[in-house]
Amino acid sequence: MTRVHVITRDNRALYEECIQQFYRLRYQIFVGERGWDSLRGADGLEIDTYDNEHAIYLLAIDAGRVVGGQRLYPTLLPHMISEVFPHLVQLGIPQAADIFEWTRYFVVKERRTGRTDCRLLAAMQEFCLEKNISEVTAVVEMWWLPRWQQTGFKVRPLGLPQIIEGQPCIAAAIEISAASLEHVRELAGLRGPSLVQQAITSPSAQRVPHAAA
Amino acid sequence: MSRPSFDHATEAFDFIDRLENLPSPQEVMKETANSFSLFGFENFIITGIPNPKERFEQAVLLKKWPAGWFETYAREDYVRVDPVIRLCRNTVQPFEWSEAPYDREREPRAAEVMDRATDFRMKDGFCLPIHGINGYEACFSMSGVDLDLSSRTKPALHLMAMYAFERTRQLLNPLPCRGADLLTPREREALMWAAAGKSAADTGDILGITERTVTAHIASACQKLDATNKTQAVARAMQYKLIRI
Repeated sequence: MTRVHVITRDNRALYEECIQQFYRLRYQIFVGERGWDSLRGADGLEIDTYDNEHAIYLLAIDAGRVVGGQRLYPTLLPHMISEVFPHLVQLGIPQAADIFEWTRYFVVKERRTGRTDCRLLAAMQEFCLEKNISEVTAVVEMWWLPRWQQTGFKVRPLGLPQIIEGQPCIAAAIEISAASLEHVRELAGLRGPSLVQQAITSPSAQRVPHAAA
Repeated sequence: MSRPSFDHATEAFDFIDRLENLPSPQEVMKETANSFSLFGFENFIITGIPNPKERFEQAVLLKKWPAGWFETYAREDYVRVDPVIRLCRNTVQPFEWSEAPYDREREPRAAEVMDRATDFRMKDGFCLPIHGINGYEACFSMSGVDLDLSSRTKPALHLMAMYAFERTRQLLNPLPCRGADLLTPREREALMWAAAGKSAADTGDILGITERTVTAHIASACQKLDATNKTQAVARAMQYKLIRI
């Protein structure tokens, strides 16, 4: 059964193997499949400046295997939209304690049936609602926008689309709400929460971290 | 340029704001017609792309088409031969009608639909394909005679079209195309794994459900797809683009 695990600096020690898988998958998908050449490197891992102690990862893990992932990062710090893509924004870069940037979203090829996507989208909203995060910002390929909207996301453009790595992309802000979480759950037939949060001090820390996943 | 230049970015953002408060598809139609006329567009249609079992008229969400053309297009079932629709299925990027390829010699019906459209002042056009979740496919296609289509205006049109589509979809129905929700997510998933060569038992293990439940999902998918067995169900589901590998 696939669950989405919250990984922060506090419990990262439980997930070192999964994080390595995540970096490797990011390389395979963003460099290999999508051809983002600026990320190409020699070691087959895709790791950037924002993979630091402030990053929060929400990884879909099934029996120890990472099948999807995403990252949240505080917008009060320099982040991708403010540092790499400010030219995509004409309506002001949202920066606040309760706004996070949402990056490096993917689902592995054999799970692209929709349900794993929905589970990741639901988990991201569950996490944000719990932490009182009101909005996430992201740079996304335009063809993704209707998919987000159909899952119930309320999406506000921050500028006009521009070509990045050959694809029209847009910077956008997504309002987090219980209603949009409910919408995506209903769409995918997800009952109850998708999130797993393991604290390093809990008894589960004694176990092999994802044996129960 | 013949038209006085206007700030297309501001127009796009204002248009998106205005859409939010429109209460009916009729209002969306008017607002869209107004805003897109600033770029020279006279006609547009927002439509789902019908699967082989659906009729074109059932898939249409919103339209401002010249009198006579809609009837002609539906009667002639042009949707099956229209090169714009064909390209729509195969790309996620917006394109100009002139970029939709067809062979005038070998595809006379494709040539016919493009020629007859011209008779209705639908000379040039711009089309935005929509590839939604659950295999839902739709498009926003707009046309006219003297279009302001450039690398400067296209990003604004792209964004406006996407939001006009979404507002229309919201007002009409959360998932307007019956083809799209023909199968449940579980049925699709079971067929996907069958297509990948997995047995019902394997699929059960992967999805965390029993083999019996997997078999039941596949049986139900067979029934919905008019298929006599799993193999035919997989083939049909792929043909209708309900699953992808």
